[in-house]
Amino acid sequence: MMPTADVERKSAHGSSGASPLVTSFSDDWGSDISTFKGVRWGKAMMWVFLLSDTFIFTCFLVGYMAVRMSTVEPWPNPSEVFALQAFGISVPLLLIAIMTFILISSSGTMAMAVNMGYRRRKEAATYLILVTALLGAMFVGMQVFEWSKLILDEGVRPWSNPFGAPQFGAVFFMVTGFHGLHVSAGVVYLLTIAFRIRRGKYDESNFEIVEITGLYWHFVDLVWVFIFALFYLW
Amino acid sequence: MTDQPSRQHPIRIYLIVWGLLFLVSALSYMTDFIDRGLWRWALILLFMALKAGFIVAVFMHMRWERLALMAVVLAPPVLLLVLVGLMAVESDYTRSVRFEYFVEGERDEALPVSAGNKRN
Amino acid sequence: MTEIEAPYQETMDVPHPRSWITRYWFSQDHKVIAVQYGVTAIAVGLVALVLSGLMRIQIGFPGLLPFITPDIYYQAVTMHGMIMVIFLLTAFLLGAFGNFCIPLMLGARDMVFPFVNMLSYHVYLLSVVVLMASYFVPGGPTGAGWTLYPPQAILPGTPGVDWGIVAMLLSLIIFVVAFTMGGLNYVTTILQARTRGMTLMRMPLTVWGILMATVLGLLAFPALFVSAVMMLLDKLVGTSFFMPAIVSFGQPLEYSGGSPLLFQHLFWFFGHPEVYIVALPAFGVVSELISVHSRKNIFGYRMMVWALVAIGALSFVVWAHHMYVAGMHPYFGFFFATTTLIIAVPTAIKVYNWVLTLWKANIKLTVPMLFALAFILTFVVGGLSGLFLGNVIIDVPLSDTYFVVAHFHMVMGVAPILVIFGGIYHWYPKLTGRMLNNALGQLHFWVTFLGTYAIYYPMHYLGFIGVPRRYYANGVESDFYPASAVTLNEFITVAALVVGLMQFVFVYNLIVSYFRGKQAGPNPWDATTLEWQTPQTPPDHGNWGGTLPTVHRWAYDYSVPGEEQDFVPQNVEPRS
Repeated sequence: MMPTADVERKSAHGSSGASPLVTSFSDDWGSDISTFKGVRWGKAMMWVFLLSDTFIFTCFLVGYMAVRMSTVEPWPNPSEVFALQAFGISVPLLLIAIMTFILISSSGTMAMAVNMGYRRRKEAATYLILVTALLGAMFVGMQVFEWSKLILDEGVRPWSNPFGAPQFGAVFFMVTGFHGLHVSAGVVYLLTIAFRIRRGKYDESNFEIVEITGLYWHFVDLVWVFIFALFYLW
Repeated sequence: MTDQPSRQHPIRIYLIVWGLLFLVSALSYMTDFIDRGLWRWALILLFMALKAGFIVAVFMHMRWERLALMAVVLAPPVLLLVLVGLMAVESDYTRSVRFEYFVEGERDEALPVSAGNKRN
Repeated sequence: MTEIEAPYQETMDVPHPRSWITRYWFSQDHKVIAVQYGVTAIAVGLVALVLSGLMRIQIGFPGLLPFITPDIYYQAVTMHGMIMVIFLLTAFLLGAFGNFCIPLMLGARDMVFPFVNMLSYHVYLLSVVVLMASYFVPGGPTGAGWTLYPPQAILPGTPGVDWGIVAMLLSLIIFVVAFTMGGLNYVTTILQARTRGMTLMRMPLTVWGILMATVLGLLAFPALFVSAVMMLLDKLVGTSFFMPAIVSFGQPLEYSGGSPLLFQHLFWFFGHPEVYIVALPAFGVVSELISVHSRKNIFGYRMMVWALVAIGALSFVVWAHHMYVAGMHPYFGFFFATTTLIIAVPTAIKVYNWVLTLWKANIKLTVPMLFALAFILTFVVGGLSGLFLGNVIIDVPLSDTYFVVAHFHMVMGVAPILVIFGGIYHWYPKLTGRMLNNALGQLHFWVTFLGTYAIYYPMHYLGFIGVPRRYYANGVESDFYPASAVTLNEFITVAALVVGLMQFVFVYNLIVSYFRGKQAGPNPWDATTLEWQTPQTPPDHGNWGGTLPTVHRWAYDYSVPGEEQDFVPQNVEPRS
């Protein structure tokens, strides 16, 4: 089997009777130059990086699952550990709910920024990215507040806590720590991109950079969805 | 590049999904008030999957990407499910062994304790 | 949709360095980065080689070198293993071969992000420095074995428990960062930056092997990263991820509730794909060497590609065959033994295809070809012993004996190293424009090949009779330790020292041939792949001059009936 002829330039809609989705799938993998048509290098690279990062967070959460399931000591109840006093009553997970609200808001502003970028509305895109960064910074600030409350007021340590299994603190600090690091890095990244857009660095392009940045930011929100569900609610 | 997926969707779709995310998050939060058991866990996982799906499909644009990219990103995490499943079985086994050899008394569910209770 | 997509690299702006620092130290040219990776990997590999010499002297002639205490011995065991697997094999096969071969074989000017590529090397260098620093910290390097199993790895009694283990874990974390940067570049370049006419199924198998290995690495190294972070936290902060309630030297420690098995699962979830990260590029390079040096197309190219993909995917579900005797869930053995035996199938298919390629071929016994043939032999031997170990019941008496040591050295330490040598002899002329000295090459090959056989083939016997691995007090005859084992240890040590010395002859060849080697010309092996069709040798910055090549055929048009020469390069147009 020695194909010596040139690659035929197949159209995206294919020539066989199969559905366009399947045809485009095999066309993509069989074509020359690039596999993901219309996807610039930066975007492909970001997706692969996010895939790798998914594995990292999954391994962290698997570690969490393993220690929680294998310990003989009772696991603390997150609803109560993370409750806040508001108007005299203890509201479970109040701070966490607010943090979720903020992060989802930031995802929304980011999605709009991407849309503005593709419409070449630089001012709007920059403004929305800055709002996203601000919301991200607020999220980190609240996470820092949560940490300080647990460490200083409640006596939670990585090696023990007054509520239950000692791994609770270890898992909490490790998982939220890595997530918080990602959010912080994301804030820096967002600010960098915002200033570069303002300076006109991307004027020659179609502002795909905003979408690439948005992928990272949405990933950070995605990880929070899992942490919120599996650590705080479960 | 006419076969490039269209990037300029009306803003509406993002606003709708944004709203849905708030809604599902509120619903997730409500599960906190259900007693621990199968219902609670099923709902937690369901809402988690819904939110994750919305974010990946719409915000991260996956719904409009070519199947090739979709497959490359969505297929490998299936391997993670193998790891998760096996580790769940392993951890449960570890716990059983601990109760059998190291702990006095019966094996309970790992019921959470209220804040403020000391460790027994 | 009629517009023909142009390779973006046509208009790509390759960075043009001006000073020595930007040209060599902070180079963004993939060829220079490849050499940087190669030189660093070989340097640190020589350190590991010396360590293995020390280990063998202790095993074969205990007491001969009195400074080899048990601590020193276990530190050597650990550092030798970790350096060889991660910092030599992975770094060379992916960092050096990957960086050099990928853009050239795909008709690209460079990797898609040369700056990130440059960073990946320097972060790798940093990880090597941090690892070597463990020799200078109080207590020295860790002696926990390359597998770093808790709880012993962070408890007193194990060498390096204060600082050495921290340096080791930090070094691994930094390496994962370097690997991720490099790996993203490779995957993106291979998938998105090929030249016109280069479809995935026209890529040389070297690129396929490296692609699969990179994907494996991007997905598997996270597990190592997480294990290292969690163990660091256990050590430095006192968490109990892996540490159960435990008494150490009579003192109950503060830990409780953790599980050492969790570390083993996470580590091997990385560790097994890791050995395929080493093996798959080796498979790819071997296919290249065999095809070129026997003037015949690789038999069953399509199956070779699918076999690489299948091995890669399956490698994620076999990990606990390293844990049959660890005390995990009793039924896991069934699952993992099954998947382990299944993964032998695509691997065997590849071996059959190599042999069928050689069948009735015009074999030229050049030095690269000799190494490729030796790879097939040693990999088959190592693979066969793996079949024994893959079955749970047989593994019970063989686990943690020299049988395992023989197995993994054959498949990891002998076979891929032979491929690295073969690849260097093969591509050195393209990199430098000169041939490596042939006589020295033949000497290097025969001593290395026969010598490593002499080391590891008899070692299986030691395993059968139950000689345990990682024992300091070997080689002392007792009721437990028969005279045959003592004699065999002495023999193996002598062979190992001879083989070890011969590698310095190879290094000498590398250096001297650069200045005095025979001029090679652009394509001394008459190969078809694109890297041999560059306008200059060694290739200039940007690789292709003004125009990128266009590919018209697959990578293996050798001995095509009706053609004048016995090879047709990939960029030659089809006869109409």
